[in-house]
Amino acid sequence: MRWLRRFTQRALLEKRLESELQFHIEQSTESYIAQGIPPAEARRRAVLEFGGVERFKEECRETHWENQWDIVVRDFRFALGCLRKDRRFAFVAIFALALGIGASTAIFSVVDNALFEPFAYKDSRHLVTLHLRDLDQANDWRGLFLYDEFQEFQKQNDLFDSMVANLPEDVVYSAGENSLLLFGNYVTPGTFEFYGVAPYLGRSLAPADYEAGAPPVFVMRYKAWINKFGADPSLLGKTFRLNGVSRTLVGIEAPRFAWGGAELWMPRGPKEPKIIRSFDGRQYWGVVARIRPGVSTQQAAASLNIIAQRFSKIYPKDYPAHFSMEVASFAHIVVPPRFRRALYVFSAAVGLLLLIGCANVANLLLARATTREREFAVRSALGASRFHLIRQLLAESFLLAFAGGILGIFFAWAGVKTIAAVLPDFTIASETVIEMNGAVLVFALVVGICTVFLFGLAPSLKASRGNLEESLRDTGKGLSGVQGGAGARNIVVVAEVALCVTLLFTASLFVRSFVALQRVPLGLHTDHVLTARLPLPPERYKTGAQLNAFFRPLLTRLKSMPGIAYAAESSTLPPYGGIRSEVQVSGQSHTEKWYGLFQLCSEDYIPVLRIPVLEGRTFTETEVNDARQVAVINQTFQRRYFDKKPSIGEKIRLNELKDFPDAVKDPWFEVIGVVADARNRGLQEPIDPEVWVPYTVTGSAMRGILVRTTNDPAAMAKTVAREIWATDPSVAMAEPGTLDHFLDLFTFAQPRFALWIVGMFACMGLLLATIGVYSVMAYNTARRTHEFGLRVALGAAARDVVKMVLGQGLRLLTLGLVIGLVSSLALSRLITSELWGVSPHDPLALVGVAALLLLIGLLACWVPARRATRVDPMTALRYE
Amino acid sequence: MAQEKSEFLKGTLDMLILKVVAAGPIHGYAISQRIQQVSKDFFQVPQGSLYPALHRLEERDWLEAEWRDTATGREAKFYKLTRKGRTQLESEVLHWEKLTDAVALILRTAE
Repeated sequence: MRWLRRFTQRALLEKRLESELQFHIEQSTESYIAQGIPPAEARRRAVLEFGGVERFKEECRETHWENQWDIVVRDFRFALGCLRKDRRFAFVAIFALALGIGASTAIFSVVDNALFEPFAYKDSRHLVTLHLRDLDQANDWRGLFLYDEFQEFQKQNDLFDSMVANLPEDVVYSAGENSLLLFGNYVTPGTFEFYGVAPYLGRSLAPADYEAGAPPVFVMRYKAWINKFGADPSLLGKTFRLNGVSRTLVGIEAPRFAWGGAELWMPRGPKEPKIIRSFDGRQYWGVVARIRPGVSTQQAAASLNIIAQRFSKIYPKDYPAHFSMEVASFAHIVVPPRFRRALYVFSAAVGLLLLIGCANVANLLLARATTREREFAVRSALGASRFHLIRQLLAESFLLAFAGGILGIFFAWAGVKTIAAVLPDFTIASETVIEMNGAVLVFALVVGICTVFLFGLAPSLKASRGNLEESLRDTGKGLSGVQGGAGARNIVVVAEVALCVTLLFTASLFVRSFVALQRVPLGLHTDHVLTARLPLPPERYKTGAQLNAFFRPLLTRLKSMPGIAYAAESSTLPPYGGIRSEVQVSGQSHTEKWYGLFQLCSEDYIPVLRIPVLEGRTFTETEVNDARQVAVINQTFQRRYFDKKPSIGEKIRLNELKDFPDAVKDPWFEVIGVVADARNRGLQEPIDPEVWVPYTVTGSAMRGILVRTTNDPAAMAKTVAREIWATDPSVAMAEPGTLDHFLDLFTFAQPRFALWIVGMFACMGLLLATIGVYSVMAYNTARRTHEFGLRVALGAAARDVVKMVLGQGLRLLTLGLVIGLVSSLALSRLITSELWGVSPHDPLALVGVAALLLLIGLLACWVPARRATRVDPMTALRYE
Repeated sequence: MAQEKSEFLKGTLDMLILKVVAAGPIHGYAISQRIQQVSKDFFQVPQGSLYPALHRLEERDWLEAEWRDTATGREAKFYKLTRKGRTQLESEVLHWEKLTDAVALILRTAE
């Protein structure tokens, strides 16, 4: 219990320590007196020989463990004071550290989540999808299969452990005015066992649910439950009217279960009768299999080929002339290859960022160590032990590392949140949850913190080498210390600048490309247009006349509403232009096949989008009601297939319409008008020949509406929904939204994301390069304080000193700039596919980047240069 | 070359103290006198630096201390060796002898 007593009797211990040391001095004094020395002189000698009483007392105290806490607190207080004295250093170092840690963790977390760990499914490494490849075109013919094919594939259990399929289905949830359209999936037995994900609430679909005659049930996706049903747990067990069938909700799936991107899943046993919904009357199922361990994807594909050959005889329309089956690992299809490559490049850059961040911190710490050499030499001479100095530096390093680490964690968190927020839909699997990767964060923290401690202790290493006098003499001169390190530091700066130039150049190309994309003339006006897909119950809407019985009253009602100028039916949404078809033109003979796009629309389509009519006219309401075979063509069609001859009154044939379930027997259409070109294959692709025909000619194909409003189109969505419901309660709007939003989602979202990511990198690169240049220049000028003082004393003007420092900085900057520009030009080839409307060697971007970097770089040099001129020559010289 | 000597001392001071204390309970002043006297003033260090060492050895349980009166009737802190301290001393002496033997051998035969 000695330690406890000591802890409670600190006053006593303190007194005893005092008397122990005093006893020594008194004894010593007495022995001098005994030698005949006068008492005063004897005491003086004794005290001198003893040394600093307070120092030894302190050292004695330090040996006692119960004082360790006080010592730590004192060290930290002192360290805090030191850092506060040099605030600029502290801020820059903490920021550089945090940036390295935060940026690398954030980016790598996203890459890891999106690429390496996108699924929460059981054994997802062995999941594969099946594709039919067209060997002539070298592309995917289809990735969906007929049920017969699926059943045949499923029998190959020497290749696959198990196989499941899903059939997408628009589901109208009827609830009066609040009717909703949900995206559903029919799933085959064993689907939930296959994925092995436990439900969030209730239960998943069980084998009994797939039996013929079982009570109809369904399960819901977590996200739909949260967003569309207010996360109401009491919904469980309730019955929903879905596509006219009463189904009971039995479970909410786990947040990361999103198979097929569906919002609800319904069981579908093999015995149930087929429902024909797709417009050509066939059901195509998505198929996923778990490949047996040890079976290669090539082996599996080879076996499936034999089955596919057999089916190609039964369903010749579903197979290209030359084909092969392909089995692809699940992970490969999740992220589009282009985006995937970008992510790989990013993750490589991330490692580099962390390294550069650490190099910056190291440079800063070394710069500080140099300016403090004298301080340490003095303290060492005054009796501070090496242990003392190390402990104090440790405390300083700890404070820096701690602050940098905390800020780094915050940066990482904010970065992950930002990226997750700007990540457009459909670029990554919907199962993916973007969240911080703990292991990566820890790794980055460890690397960063080690750097701080390693370089933070540098001054103590120097002090402890014992060259005390040398240190005292040399500090402030330009020649002492580790000159060898200068080369390495300069290389780091040059590399940073080069990397930064490359990043900035890439970013500016993306910006230019994005701007160019937004400036593309669409040829149509997308503002004030509300759009929605309208999936109609196929059993009641089979023919054009039936469609017209729904759309005609709806369009008339809508047009009569205040705030609505035009309302039109359409089969696709601009700027994507319709159904592809082979076309024939009367009187024109040609050997190669001619293709064009066609749209099934009502008479207001052209006015809704304000496409200028160049010749003739557009069709009338009567022509639409009578399903007359008349057509409006675009300029490209006129130019390409009529070759300057007048086209009005000529006839064109849309062969595809002959093959529709509700076929047009003789699909010849009379041309009545020509309209200006408008984008019909997205923004980047050239415009295709296009034809508009009355939507009433067939009952097949997907339908939607376009409404031109006089005010905010989004505000009209409720009104339109109500009118739709009033016209037919079994129809609900799918994906209602403004045309501008649609355009944004499908056209600008991906380039904007690329822009964001590259922009973030470029900003980071610029910051890091700035800090890098600053820290190295600060270090160099700190070393030369003495020299500058001397120069000023000898009559050099402040301007000359600044010029010298800037000149040195400029050399590093220029070298980095040249290397960076050369590598940018070499690398920009790689991103050509991501760019549009801008050359990968865009001179404006080159010049802009060079100017920006020089400006920022010189600014970073200017700060330490200014400080160098402010050196008082007397102070600098007194360092001698 | 003050630095070198003090470095040299740090390694051996502990052993010297243990050796001196081994002779019987003794206070700090006497220890310092004894070391100086025996070493013929070879170790020129501030006398005070003895005390942190004493406290450190006490903390390690190699020494134990007791306050009692000296011959002149004054109260002083007397140190004496513990069993642990004695073992430590023996091993250090052994180690030291081996080292000096080796060095001496090299010095004699390396010519």
